[in-house]
Amino acid sequence: MKRLLLASTFAATFALPAVAAPFTCPSRGGDIVFGQEANVNSLDQMTSSTISTRNIAMNMYESLMTRDENNRPILELAESMEEAPDGLTYTFRLRQGVTFHNGKPMTSADVAASFNRYNRIGLQRSTLDNVAGWDTPDPRTFVIRMKQVQPTFIEALSSFSVPIVVIPSEHENDDRQQLRPVGTGPFRLLEFVPGSHARLGRFDAYSPNTAFEQRTGFGGYRVACVDTVTFRIVTEASARVAGLETGALQAVEDVPTRSLDTLRRNSAITILPLQNWWIQIALPNTAHGPTANLAFRRAVQAALGMEDIMDAATDGNYRLNVGFQYPNQPSFTDAGRETYNINDPARARTLLRESGYRNEPIIILTNRDYPPMYNAALVMQQQMRAVGINANLRVVDWPTSVQMSQRVNSDEWHFFHSGWGTQPALGALATMQFLVAPGANYRPRDDKDDPDVLAAWNRMNNERDPAARQQAFADMQRLVLERAYAYPFGSLTKVQAVRSNVQGYVPFRIPRFSNVWITR
Amino acid sequence: MFGVLVRRLFSALPVLLIVSLISFGLMRLIPGDPAAAIAGIAATPAQIEQLRRDLGLDEPLWMQLVHYYEGLARGDLGRSLLLGKGVFAATMERLPVTIALSLYALVFTLIIGIASGIIAALKQNTWIDQAAMMFAMIGISVPNFFLGLLMIILFAVHLGWLPSGGYVPFSESPIGWLRSMTMPAFSLALLQAGLLARITRSSMLEVLRQDYIRTAKAKGLPQRRVILKHALANALIPIVTVVGIIVSLLLSGAVVTEALFSIPGMGQLLTQAVLNRDYPMVQGGLLLVTTFLVLVNITVDTLYAVLDPRVRHE
Repeated sequence: MKRLLLASTFAATFALPAVAAPFTCPSRGGDIVFGQEANVNSLDQMTSSTISTRNIAMNMYESLMTRDENNRPILELAESMEEAPDGLTYTFRLRQGVTFHNGKPMTSADVAASFNRYNRIGLQRSTLDNVAGWDTPDPRTFVIRMKQVQPTFIEALSSFSVPIVVIPSEHENDDRQQLRPVGTGPFRLLEFVPGSHARLGRFDAYSPNTAFEQRTGFGGYRVACVDTVTFRIVTEASARVAGLETGALQAVEDVPTRSLDTLRRNSAITILPLQNWWIQIALPNTAHGPTANLAFRRAVQAALGMEDIMDAATDGNYRLNVGFQYPNQPSFTDAGRETYNINDPARARTLLRESGYRNEPIIILTNRDYPPMYNAALVMQQQMRAVGINANLRVVDWPTSVQMSQRVNSDEWHFFHSGWGTQPALGALATMQFLVAPGANYRPRDDKDDPDVLAAWNRMNNERDPAARQQAFADMQRLVLERAYAYPFGSLTKVQAVRSNVQGYVPFRIPRFSNVWITR
Repeated sequence: MFGVLVRRLFSALPVLLIVSLISFGLMRLIPGDPAAAIAGIAATPAQIEQLRRDLGLDEPLWMQLVHYYEGLARGDLGRSLLLGKGVFAATMERLPVTIALSLYALVFTLIIGIASGIIAALKQNTWIDQAAMMFAMIGISVPNFFLGLLMIILFAVHLGWLPSGGYVPFSESPIGWLRSMTMPAFSLALLQAGLLARITRSSMLEVLRQDYIRTAKAKGLPQRRVILKHALANALIPIVTVVGIIVSLLLSGAVVTEALFSIPGMGQLLTQAVLNRDYPMVQGGLLLVTTFLVLVNITVDTLYAVLDPRVRHE
């Protein structure tokens, strides 16, 4: 039997400096107010994929499995998981002594009820499509039965895109967006005023995962050191900065570049860049017009200079990055790197002539809701014009641009600008699903995929050997880049900041307030 | 008087019907997929499709309209796609906050606007008049979000007198409420105060030229009594008319102010609803805000009738 044991070495390797004993709070107490940029409408983690919900809810809820600091699957509410040799069952042994915020001990019946609710209304219930059912042979054992072997199931189960969080069984029938906020996490909900704030308090009966010594990713050995954490919605960047300066806010996300110099000079504030926030990207419309022509797409690829695009898009907060994973991730590959950042106008003009392009107007679809996308589109337009392409912007709002990009065989646009964040953070599999039909932003003619790309995608999903799956990813990335089905520009850095007396705060995709303390 | 009130209430019904139809139509005319908007930037196609089915967005338009009016007939404004809760309940959580902010701003507007208008009129063509009107122009010209930012920098960052943002409910702490609402209300008020100052000034000037004021002065009445009892009472008539409009402007101006100061009011709720194409929330929210505004205008009209006997007898 293959057994996923809790590797306590994860904690030593990826979290804070290696220590012999589990983490203990250097000081306890105090209140943290976090300035959150986006509004949050519900804390129902099963029915929301928005980052703002996750920001708060993932400090309250836990899952059977989650991801570590480097995005590898780890156990969270389970102490062990065994996969049957035929790959058709997964048996989870639950940790002992875990209680919900309402004081009730967690059992396998609660896990089953959580899976039932998720299967009924969970936003990503397709994760369970290949699951035949689940059993609870005893209060500490939870068994998942598969319809057929799915080598990627554990990767999907541990995803934090829309995680299957464990809730008390009596909440199984709560309506969509109406889940009562009771979890097993280190913080419990004290107050939630949509549009204003959510206040969490330390859950004193929390039982840390002793298989680890430190926090890692969303899991590991977690301890709540502060009394309360208040997530305050502060949509205006200037107001967030002012709040941080006055001490009304102890931590903020997304500090504007224009404020960085001032904040760096302030000894009461620590700047914390969070690299790899998203992959800035443009996707050509391969169903229609000049962009259906490979030579034309390659001409555009040759014309693009990624430094200029990323610099304008991010005010200088970026890293050049080949492909669809980040260099720190285990699945990173630079396959297809020769197609990246070519910035060769002469070559672009030659390819343009080969493509038979006749100065047709080219529409770059972008939006102002996400300024980096708009700025990237502006530079891309200029670089295309410089090689003789009649490029024009079409600026709409984000929901409209998504709807336009999703229309099958659309002739309304030629390039669509986006930013891929959560999926690249979740790994190659989660990301590459964007590049097979029907993709959110990738719609080939009649939704018919390139057979070579599709074959690589199928191998990514079905190969049982992890190395073979990784090779399939590298093949798919190379094919996508060589055939110019996407133009990834680079990765955007998001700048977070905390007051200097806030210790142990390590930037992550979602702010984590366990193992964070305040010095006095 | 009662007849005027009843007539006004009945004449409001077509207004509400038109608003409901326009908000329904406009929301459907705006392109954009509610499911994609609600699911967020990280959503996959499968998630968006799933949400679309969950929310019933695959229904034909005419059926959605029928369901909307069926609901309205039952007094049901529908369920917010984004919040998953009833539109009425969601609105009732937020509308009082916005109304309180607007009324607090109205207090500033009235005090600053009327006082500076009266002083400017009494000191016509002096440097006081010019200074008051210059401040009025600044108030009218400077966008309230810019003014709000300046105030945050001055009063929160440099002086540390008031919080830079956040909302404290009155029930939790009246002092906290005052502290959290003073800057937003003041920045919101200044634009309308400028407007009101100019109207008050011209209204006062017109009244001060009237024969009965001259008579009152000739009778030897004290200056203060002439101004407060005779001049201001009559100058108030056009001012009261404008107050109804000012309340509407304050309510709409609250959208930006609420966002800047992190106040959970209707402005934020409706902005989010529009951006996320939350059809029921926009439709229901607008209908309730319109109802409130209609009631404000009816109140103003009634007050107008109280102040001006000629209106009562019409």
